Amino acid sequence: MAESEEKQPTKTTPPPRRRRNLKIDHDVEVPEPGYAWMPRTLEWGVRVKPGAKGMTMQGLNVGIYGEIPDRWDEQTRMPRGAYPMAGIPPIGFALREKREVWADNAADLYEEAIQRRWIPASDIPWNTLEPLPDDVEAAMCQLCTELSQAANVEFETIGYWLQHMSYGYHEVKLFLASNMFDAGRHHEAFRKRALANGGGLGIESKGEINRMILESKGGWSETSLLLHLLRGLFIQTIYRYGERFAHNPAEKVMFARALQDKARHTAYGLQHLRYAVTHKQDKALVFQQLLNIGERVFARELQEPVVLEPLAVIFGGGIEGAKAGMREVHHMMGDFVRSYLASTDWIGVHRGRAFPKGLSRYLEA
Amino acid sequence: MPVFPSVEWFDAVSRSFNSDEANRTAGGGIADAGVGIIFEDQVFLLNFAGYECEKASVIQRSDLENTDFYLEMHPDDWIEMLINIQQNGTADMNYTLNTLDLDSEDGLAKSATDDQYRLDKFFRFNQTIQFFFDASSDVETEFDREITPA
Repeated sequence: MAESEEKQPTKTTPPPRRRRNLKIDHDVEVPEPGYAWMPRTLEWGVRVKPGAKGMTMQGLNVGIYGEIPDRWDEQTRMPRGAYPMAGIPPIGFALREKREVWADNAADLYEEAIQRRWIPASDIPWNTLEPLPDDVEAAMCQLCTELSQAANVEFETIGYWLQHMSYGYHEVKLFLASNMFDAGRHHEAFRKRALANGGGLGIESKGEINRMILESKGGWSETSLLLHLLRGLFIQTIYRYGERFAHNPAEKVMFARALQDKARHTAYGLQHLRYAVTHKQDKALVFQQLLNIGERVFARELQEPVVLEPLAVIFGGGIEGAKAGMREVHHMMGDFVRSYLASTDWIGVHRGRAFPKGLSRYLEA
Repeated sequence: MPVFPSVEWFDAVSRSFNSDEANRTAGGGIADAGVGIIFEDQVFLLNFAGYECEKASVIQRSDLENTDFYLEMHPDDWIEMLINIQQNGTADMNYTLNTLDLDSEDGLAKSATDDQYRLDKFFRFNQTIQFFFDASSDVETEFDREITPA
């Protein structure tokens, strides 16, 4: 292009500075405001101050906003402490008793979940992954497939129950929302590990326990018993051993971070289940009956090779060392059973002789 | 140079831990726990509250009942862990608290009252306690003995 034809920068005039004057917008016809909503509050003048941990949900529980009733009869989405409105069609919450969902630690655990969150995409040092022997990589991928799917079951299960919980107990709903998000993060992290080091996804077990948890419809407490206590503690124990036998910093960080989340879910489960047992006379008996079934299904599912065998290969450093690795698996199961029985004792459900041989045999490990 | 273990040493580590905002992210964050530390016949209490280790103090063994959990290792294992942290900046793969817990015959984390809920705080706040000991890499430390690595 010749010099004369070169495009010259054009001078543009900036648009005039203008702000709409809200006070003289006469052309729009608006109805005369009534402000009927304005005085509708049950308690005014509340000034919650942030504490050492910032402005927490627990800190908001002052005055009427901190009154947590044993039963929540409001059948709408009205928040606890808000002004009730007549004529709202009911939503039909199934869980309206405090004892059906409550845990005193729920608000604090929610804050803990939010403040201790982590990001699999960037907090795990993925670049430290190095090629592993094929048998070890296959075992790790199989384990991650199972863990990823267990996390998937967890968030789907909680998702089902959340909509049935009334708004009077928002602390629990908030915590369980964070539990769902944690489970989503675990699904993500383990899937990423399976697909990041030359392997791929393995197979999912037949999933009898998964189905038990997903199809548990008798009550949230009963579901929490299976989800947080029986299966949750098992997964928590696997995370501990996953951290111990990690092959690289990426796996180390992944299991260590997931372990903290899982322990938080257990903390809610323990508190809620103990609350349920101490606030309903026959709840301990109901839990005993449910565990009589659940533990046996769980013990039977352990016979499936898709979890314990891969762990034996990982612990043993390959197929050659898998036999020694299986001894470590028994040790791990012993740790699980001990913490499980200590936890059932803690909630007031003493398993005693009802505990199946398929699990008690690990106590000898 | 503070001697491990002593209140002076735990205070120095606390200063380093509390001032590093990185300890509040990526799995760190608020932690409320009373953690006992046993080194031979010496017993200490670390009070974690909010984002910080607020206080370190000497306590009696009977006071362990008031802790959420306590950590107990052979003195040589304590020193070996701290030397590893000093050499690497953080605990390497073989010296994290969870790994030491599983590798120890009796476990590292214990409850004085057999309270499973309180003992589980070792797992809930595991990274915070780990970050705390990792912060000791910033503290010049004197040990009261020489050890032979296991």
